Amino acid sequence: MKFLGLVLKSAKRSKRRTFLTVMSVAIAVFLFASLRAVLDGFNAGAEASSSTRIVTIRSTSLIFSMPTSHGEAIRVTPGVQDMTWANWFGGIYKDPNNFFANFAVEPESYLRMYPEIQLTPEERTAFIEDRTGCIVGDGLAKRFGFKVGDKITLQVGIPVYGTQDYDFTVRAIYRSGGAAVDNQSMMFHWKYVDERSLVKGQVGWYVIQVSHPDQAVQVAAAIDRKFANSPNETKTDTEKAFQSSFVSMFGNLNLLLGSIALAVVITTLFVAGNTMAMSVRERTTEIAVMRTLGFPSGMIFLLVAGEGLLMAVVGGVLGVAVARALINPNFLNAGGFIPAIGVNTGNMLVGLALSVIIGVLAGLIPATMASRLKIVDALRRVA
Amino acid sequence: MGLITNYNLRSMTVRKGTAAMTAGGFAMVVAVFVMTLAIAQGFRATLVASGSPGNAIVLRKSATAETVSAVLRTDVPIVESLPQIARGADGRPLASSELVVIIALPRQTDNQPANVPVRGVGPRAYEVRDTLKIVEGRRFSPGIREINVGRLALGRFKGLALGSDVKFGAATWKVVGIFTADDAAFESELWGDVDLMMPAFQRDGYQSMTVKLADASMFDSFKASIEGDPRLHLQPKREQDYYVEQSLAMTTVIRVFGTFVTVILSIGAMFGAMNTMYAAVAYRTREIGTLRALGFSRFRIVTAFLAESIALAVMGGVLGCILALPVHGLSTGTTNFSSFSEVAFKFRITPALMMGGLVFSAVMGAVGGLLPAIRAARIPVARALREI
Repeated sequence: MKFLGLVLKSAKRSKRRTFLTVMSVAIAVFLFASLRAVLDGFNAGAEASSSTRIVTIRSTSLIFSMPTSHGEAIRVTPGVQDMTWANWFGGIYKDPNNFFANFAVEPESYLRMYPEIQLTPEERTAFIEDRTGCIVGDGLAKRFGFKVGDKITLQVGIPVYGTQDYDFTVRAIYRSGGAAVDNQSMMFHWKYVDERSLVKGQVGWYVIQVSHPDQAVQVAAAIDRKFANSPNETKTDTEKAFQSSFVSMFGNLNLLLGSIALAVVITTLFVAGNTMAMSVRERTTEIAVMRTLGFPSGMIFLLVAGEGLLMAVVGGVLGVAVARALINPNFLNAGGFIPAIGVNTGNMLVGLALSVIIGVLAGLIPATMASRLKIVDALRRVA
Repeated sequence: MGLITNYNLRSMTVRKGTAAMTAGGFAMVVAVFVMTLAIAQGFRATLVASGSPGNAIVLRKSATAETVSAVLRTDVPIVESLPQIARGADGRPLASSELVVIIALPRQTDNQPANVPVRGVGPRAYEVRDTLKIVEGRRFSPGIREINVGRLALGRFKGLALGSDVKFGAATWKVVGIFTADDAAFESELWGDVDLMMPAFQRDGYQSMTVKLADASMFDSFKASIEGDPRLHLQPKREQDYYVEQSLAMTTVIRVFGTFVTVILSIGAMFGAMNTMYAAVAYRTREIGTLRALGFSRFRIVTAFLAESIALAVMGGVLGCILALPVHGLSTGTTNFSSFSEVAFKFRITPALMMGGLVFSAVMGAVGGLLPAIRAARIPVARALREI
């Protein structure tokens, strides 16, 4: 207790300095936790993807479609339990800058295979029964103020869907029950879009349910074999691989955010270490007096290191708390390609751990300096 | 002024460790600032270099990018007959009707498939885009399944080498040449004969036309001719404007993100500078008292301590620029969301960007040093002199 009192006393010695140091650690931890949250947000879709869902796309690339006849061939492949399909529509809502994901799905099977799309049974029926109906995620609904019953008009973004605008009626607002489905998307009937397409019967990707994760690789290979050497060769992969291919489009995010985080930590180390060194220098005489009074050098070391640690941890708690409050999907909505971002408990723990590391490292040299002080020299020194 | 600045600058060397640590903090901030903006700069430069001032690109009305545009076969002769288009030696118009599709090829680094643009071009494409140079091999021959590969695509994706066969669009294509294009986005693309690409990808129509204008100033009359023709639902754009638009979304994201991170980080560094300067002021209270007693005004004390803080920050800024320099020219790639395909580009640190970094560090130094400097000036002379 006496120990803690002494640490507190010396921290209060220069309130302004302590405040500035705590704040700079808080800022660093805030940045660090936010950056981790951004990275997690990008990877969440891939992490939470189902291991029993596999996705078939054209081997050339996602932008090419394949005929509906592929669906029948896939359905009879051994190991396939269920199947649905979808098309990227790429429609524009009023302005190209209002980007959000919108795609045409086969409603019944799609909702069956994605239990993450949470709807009440009534909402579900309302959507399935209206050919021009659509469902939107609650995040998207909030962004544009969509309500059930609203009309949404999308301009055609991809020429194959004709030239006329498409009108949809919002039949339900879904909630996302897992990161594999985001709450920023809009889905509507594949049939409605297909009727007006210039080329009929085209599917962008098939989603296939297998009964056991171990079967995924085998079934995927069996599907691709069926279409090998046909004009529409396919490439089937796990949902995880499908999702992470979107993340990797941003380039090497891990490296970029990682190096920024490193710079943040180093900057803070400089700032906090510097402060501790200054406060030790200022207290040279004081420390010498304490040593004369019989405080062992180990105790002095602990006192100085403890002060650094205390300031860093207080800063860390502050930074994490601010990050938690500011960086969450309700407060911040990047929209578009950037997924919903929120600071979770894991990010907070990492941030706190970081503040402890900063505290220990920043206090190390000044504490060693203080404990190695020669009493006679120190007492003789002025200022 | 000269004397007092000299005094402050010399005092810095007395507290070498502290000064170095503070400057180090500034250096990291400036390094992050310069590096993130170098990404935006490089990405933009790559796309802007793709457009040449004398060229125009013709797209479907209201199309935002080539990949979502469509130009009918029947539109081509109408556009090509316009008098504003430059003619080649044989009197034929310098125009290239093109098709851009995206294929997936495994990346060299992690074997993950990435989207690579494949451009089917007309026979005059190399004359329309005169920055393109074949550096190895030869141009593809029209009517044969041959392709040319951009230099940056060559290093990034597997299976692209001179003489190798690439399989896409239900056909096999031979790589017969490698081209450069002054670092433009084309260097990330594969080029082949548009008349072979169209059946290979089951397309029936072009997506865009790029034409060389007889004179850059003729763009307005070219635009008027196209938009005035009731048979055409097309819209021409200056090639350079088109590519600037393409880069806008991505560069904005990077700039906003980069600014957000550096501004927050700089607040931390400014707190560090404040600490250092407060300590410097406290340590030298007696000296300040002496200076005041000698007749230096409060204002001069403020400016002198501000100068000290700014000098410290600028030294950090210079160090930060040096730290950031090695990434210059480093090639990386990201997806251009306007075309949904991968574009390779290089980090670009320009002198202007470094100047920006230095100005930024000076501002940080000034803000961080202001309060301590004012404090230095406010110290009562008599008490300061008495201080031990």
